[in-house]
Amino acid sequence: MLQNYPSSSFYDEMVAESSKVRPHYEKFYRILQKLADDELLEKHETAQLSFLRQGITFTVYHEDGGTERTMPFDFIPIIIPAEDWEKIETGIKQRVKALNYFLEDIYNEKKILKDGVVPRDLIENNQYYYEQQAGGLNLPHRNHIYLAGIDLIRDGNGVYRVLEDNLRNPSGLSYVFQNRFVMRKVFPEFFLEHDIRTLEHQFSHLYQALLNHVPANSLSPDNPTAVLLTPGMYNSAYYDHVFLAQQMGIEMVEGQDLLVKNDIVYMKTMRGLQRVDIIYRRIDDDFLDPEEFRDDSALGVPGLMEACRKDNAVVVNGVGNGVADDKAVYAYVPEMIRYYLGEDPLIPNVDTYFLSDKASREDVLSRLEELVVKNVGASGGYDMLIGPQSTPEQIEIFKEKILENPAQYIAQPTIQLSRAPAFQQERFYPCHVDLRVFAVGCDHIHVLPGGLSRVALKEGSLVVNSSQGGGGKDTWVLREGAENNA
Amino acid sequence: MLSRVASNLFWIARNVERAESSARVLKTRLINALETSEAGPLAEGDWEMILDICAVSSEYYDIYPVCEAETTARYICFDRTNINSIINCMENARNNARSVREVIPEDLWEILNEHHLSMQNENVDTWSMPRIHEYLRDIQKLSFSLQGVIEASMLREEAYNFIKVGKWLERGEKTARVLNVVSEKTKELKLQTETDHYYYWLSALQFLNGYDAYLKRFPPKMEPAQVISFLISYEQFPRSIEYCMEHVRETVMKLESGQVSHYSEELFDAMDHVTQEFMKIKFRKLGMDEIGPFLDKFQNDCNRISSIFARTYYFV
Repeated sequence: MLQNYPSSSFYDEMVAESSKVRPHYEKFYRILQKLADDELLEKHETAQLSFLRQGITFTVYHEDGGTERTMPFDFIPIIIPAEDWEKIETGIKQRVKALNYFLEDIYNEKKILKDGVVPRDLIENNQYYYEQQAGGLNLPHRNHIYLAGIDLIRDGNGVYRVLEDNLRNPSGLSYVFQNRFVMRKVFPEFFLEHDIRTLEHQFSHLYQALLNHVPANSLSPDNPTAVLLTPGMYNSAYYDHVFLAQQMGIEMVEGQDLLVKNDIVYMKTMRGLQRVDIIYRRIDDDFLDPEEFRDDSALGVPGLMEACRKDNAVVVNGVGNGVADDKAVYAYVPEMIRYYLGEDPLIPNVDTYFLSDKASREDVLSRLEELVVKNVGASGGYDMLIGPQSTPEQIEIFKEKILENPAQYIAQPTIQLSRAPAFQQERFYPCHVDLRVFAVGCDHIHVLPGGLSRVALKEGSLVVNSSQGGGGKDTWVLREGAENNA
Repeated sequence: MLSRVASNLFWIARNVERAESSARVLKTRLINALETSEAGPLAEGDWEMILDICAVSSEYYDIYPVCEAETTARYICFDRTNINSIINCMENARNNARSVREVIPEDLWEILNEHHLSMQNENVDTWSMPRIHEYLRDIQKLSFSLQGVIEASMLREEAYNFIKVGKWLERGEKTARVLNVVSEKTKELKLQTETDHYYYWLSALQFLNGYDAYLKRFPPKMEPAQVISFLISYEQFPRSIEYCMEHVRETVMKLESGQVSHYSEELFDAMDHVTQEFMKIKFRKLGMDEIGPFLDKFQNDCNRISSIFARTYYFV
């Protein structure tokens, strides 16, 4: 099965050097080998079809409008041994905790800026910093981050690193559950012999944490009304919204279903207006409230922010979280952890060199052809140099840019994503993967066991995004004490 | 329940019901056209009747000069510019369902979604007439499955009730419309030929899936007055206007826990009004001249109930 599986310098989740299967994959591999080729193919197809039939789709936009697509599913799971998971879990909690302190700080006292740990410019000129709208809000439990999605990768040595924090509207949680559901249905044989952390009861954590965001002036603090605010069925993550609302048993509303009267938020029901306390919004800040953000937003609710300011409603995730998951601010997260928690970061960032520092700058300039250079203020891949794929002329241009304005740029090693075998087009081949870990917060932080393993199914590709041919895998966290090999 | 959700539930049912009845009407006509070899103005008039029943004849004539079997069939089935085309109704029903997925049974969504997926890869322009026949049968079956899911798995609460009201209102209006179009048609022909056109009354029964049921109750003789009273007020026939209206009323009663409140008063008044009209005509034979005005008025009353219903529950 893995005879022709090529080795390389990337870390492989399943296969160690000299084509030996890693201990925690041995049992899985043994069961897999018992399945005949046509059986595998049939199961593979059943799995894909199951997503399509249930309409578990995301929408891809193009000139002619949107097309609904399913995320391709690959049945080879990412298996994480208990002790590795424990480290990830603690590391994620630490990081989210620090990021939450940071958000509370910069929207209130701004101590971290005064102490010069994070450059003031970087925050105050940040396009996602909404001080006017979100400054000084009295948030329940001082919590800004209800749901976080932290993207992890593994470098060539298998060390987990944070690639990106998603603190606005991380999507994909529904896939974590659906991948498991489909996997169980199609490959029951694997589950009999593995002791895996279950995903059941996760929704009670999500639900409880949501309800803990009760606004100070709620009329029913013991039984608050929470809703999920969706931009509607044309949003690319609409299925995620449906699934979350369904599983938590909360009403899913669109902007047009809400109304603010005398700074109180109501939903329009068939029996008239009903008061709403907590709004889990899946709409971007920009579109949330046309009175305070974009005034052309038809998705939002006029007056929502004022209702929050008057403590009559709470919006989660917090408004203005984007300032903390920004590419440039990312580089300072390890410093935040030290500053707020007095601890060393448990999960490192991808190495980032600040070019304002003379020694780093000289080092970076001497080996630009092997690095990635990013403009800290840009996003979406603009003003970026990918060394290994650039011409000497392009490198020369960037050299000048850096020298001209060193504080504007950071450099990183070309990121390395670990890989794992995937079964597609009737064969096994290595594909790059990353892992989005979900953390749920309010008065404490809970990390969902596993997460969404995304896989770049195009051979050799490093892009795991579902809009560009990425797929998903089930993620198994082995239980403590479970045999790692058998 | 959110008003938007209630409205979408109501429209899932209406769209599916509308697609099903268009499919049945069209299928009936296609079969009858095979049996009657008449061609020319008579046949064309019969196709026009189908467009009238589907309430799209003027839109059709904006595009096509004459009424023929194939263009009519394609227009009713697949034309995207025809807001009531079957393909549009099914697409609308799926979108309604998609926006309320969290409150409907998973099977209800999956059946509509599966149909959508299966149609996505089809080039309907290349379909032959036998293939269209098959499609019409599939649509009817689809509607039956959906009703089966609703009956078998939905809690008897608000969501269910909104679906049911949508179905009964659509059904009642359709029966009124078929009767109206057919009685117009026979009146016209009577003036021309001085005969009663039983054939059309038979078609009316077939359009409304009532032919077999009618034969079980009445001798195999098409007495227009009897057919009319069967379709209007035979309370055991599930597409008779009376049956549909009784069920709308019953369901609204459930929604309101048997009480008339200030906000639902207008709705109850409108339904009372329709019931009274019924009682007036039920026990006496309507003359052919009275039928047209009665049906016109009735259709308006039904539409009024729909719009008051929407207003009562704040549909947007």
